[in-house]
Amino acid sequence: MSDRPAPWLAIARYDATGRARGSLVVTGLLSAFLLLFLAFFPSLSTAGIDLDAYVEAFPPAFREAFGIIAISSIEGFLAVEFYQFAWLLLVGLYLAYLAGGTIAGDVASGRMDLTLSAPVARRDVVIGRFLGLVPLVALLNVVLPVVAYVGVLAVGETIAVERLVAVHALAVPYHLTCVAVGIAVSTLVSRPGIAQRVALGALFALFMFESVVASTDYAEAGDLSPTAHYDPSAVLVLGEYDLTGAAVLLAATAVLVALAVVRFRRADLSG
Amino acid sequence: MPAIECRNLSKYYGDVRGIEDVSFAVEDGEVFGFLGPNGAGKTTAIRTLLGFLSPTSGGATLLGRDATDPVESRRARERIGYLPGDPGLDRDRTAAAFLDHQAALRGESSRDELVGRFGLDESRRIGDLSRGNRQKVALVAAFMHHPDLLLLDEPTSGLDPLLQEEFAALVRERVEDGASVLLSSHVLGEVAALCDRVGVLREGHLVAVESVSDLRSRGGKQIRVRVAEEVDRADFEVRGIMNLRVGETVSFTWTGEYDALIDLLSRYTVLDLDVVDAPLEEAFMTFYDGDVPGPTGSGSGGTSGPDAAGSGAVDSGGEGR
Repeated sequence: MSDRPAPWLAIARYDATGRARGSLVVTGLLSAFLLLFLAFFPSLSTAGIDLDAYVEAFPPAFREAFGIIAISSIEGFLAVEFYQFAWLLLVGLYLAYLAGGTIAGDVASGRMDLTLSAPVARRDVVIGRFLGLVPLVALLNVVLPVVAYVGVLAVGETIAVERLVAVHALAVPYHLTCVAVGIAVSTLVSRPGIAQRVALGALFALFMFESVVASTDYAEAGDLSPTAHYDPSAVLVLGEYDLTGAAVLLAATAVLVALAVVRFRRADLSG
Repeated sequence: MPAIECRNLSKYYGDVRGIEDVSFAVEDGEVFGFLGPNGAGKTTAIRTLLGFLSPTSGGATLLGRDATDPVESRRARERIGYLPGDPGLDRDRTAAAFLDHQAALRGESSRDELVGRFGLDESRRIGDLSRGNRQKVALVAAFMHHPDLLLLDEPTSGLDPLLQEEFAALVRERVEDGASVLLSSHVLGEVAALCDRVGVLREGHLVAVESVSDLRSRGGKQIRVRVAEEVDRADFEVRGIMNLRVGETVSFTWTGEYDALIDLLSRYTVLDLDVVDAPLEEAFMTFYDGDVPGPTGSGSGGTSGPDAAGSGAVDSGGEGR
């Protein structure tokens, strides 16, 4: 009995192992995506077009939504073409979607019955399922900066390593929040397919909300959105590291997971 | 201390009744069966006991611990094995990976023995296994930590007859070692072969708790007979026969003495004869609805039935004890 691991650890480990192959595939695809964009950069920067003037002409809300500060430098280019889109939006939505299916999926398939027939507290299940997605977040944010660095060198450019590391270090709290949004939704919505879409939709709606209010008097309301606290463009182009934002995201993650625990403790498993 | 004590347990899903006012006890070392058709509330009762559903009212203890208190329930679950009716297994993981995980949660003192005994190939992906083999995976998970209390929901569904035998033997061994069992089924024969007592659930209510020998005798036998001669329906409308259907074959439920049945059939040239335990649905129709007229439905007619069929129960049910 004493040689058994803590239930939350066992659940996290089993979940992460089951995701191993999928995690590697996603990491590979995103790496390829990044390299593809980087390959465009030399032709773009030598074409003699004033890209910064071009993006200046975009509506402010659009520039806000995609964090466009400057696009002609390699940092600006990466921020706009990859980090604002793929890292903030795509990976964030994907993580929320994955997490949305966890607990709801276990309950619907009857897997939860087997887990909870063992001496496992409901809290352990929520925490374990949350932690089960942490290795994916870590893998993405460890592999991609390396790929980005090598890719930048390969197209004959240079980039500040510190900023590249920071853009990924600060992505971790943001991605954890996205996972926590999904976990929380997964305890609220019983059908897994719906839970996944609600989690994804909620995060996307918050992102849109933040983008729209950014250029109005209600810009502060945009702070409700996790996307307001992670700004890859500011990190890469300006070297501004929003540590407060990271702390806010970590606190939000803890609150969301705690809410999920409270909610799941009281839930009937209507499989 | 009873292994399970259930006091006026009710569970409603909104307005829909799952179970209502269910009270019973499973004594230490006893095999108790829940018998009832699909939708009668067997699974709801078991899942409420395990804390998956919170009761609308009433309470229960498992191994002396309050089943409705999360901490107490978790302590009790240290020593409980559960086999769901439709086990949720990870189809894309191997049986070994799944059982490793289950072992990490509950222990695995007899895993290897069980895997060998049921001939389970652990290296296969669960999704590639047949229904019977998937059931084996769930079975190993339920038994491998040597639980003191087993909650088995439709345990033999999907197992072939040979494995059903092996499963029954395993349950008996564990009971001999001191385990208590709550088993649900809609098949009378399965319950009769394993259980000491049976609780009959119907529409969420526990309508009767009886010893198996009583229930078996009242359930009767399902007879299907094909004879060479032309059959006159009136010839079969005798005491002890219910649910009579006359066609190519004659089929009916027999609740009388075997000798009377043999006398009846001796008038014909019997080409084919099938005698099995009456399916539960028929037993219900006959004995629990009360609106089916039958010579042995109540009163004096019943006295001859139980004796005859009861003696049959000793033969086939004897190894159950």
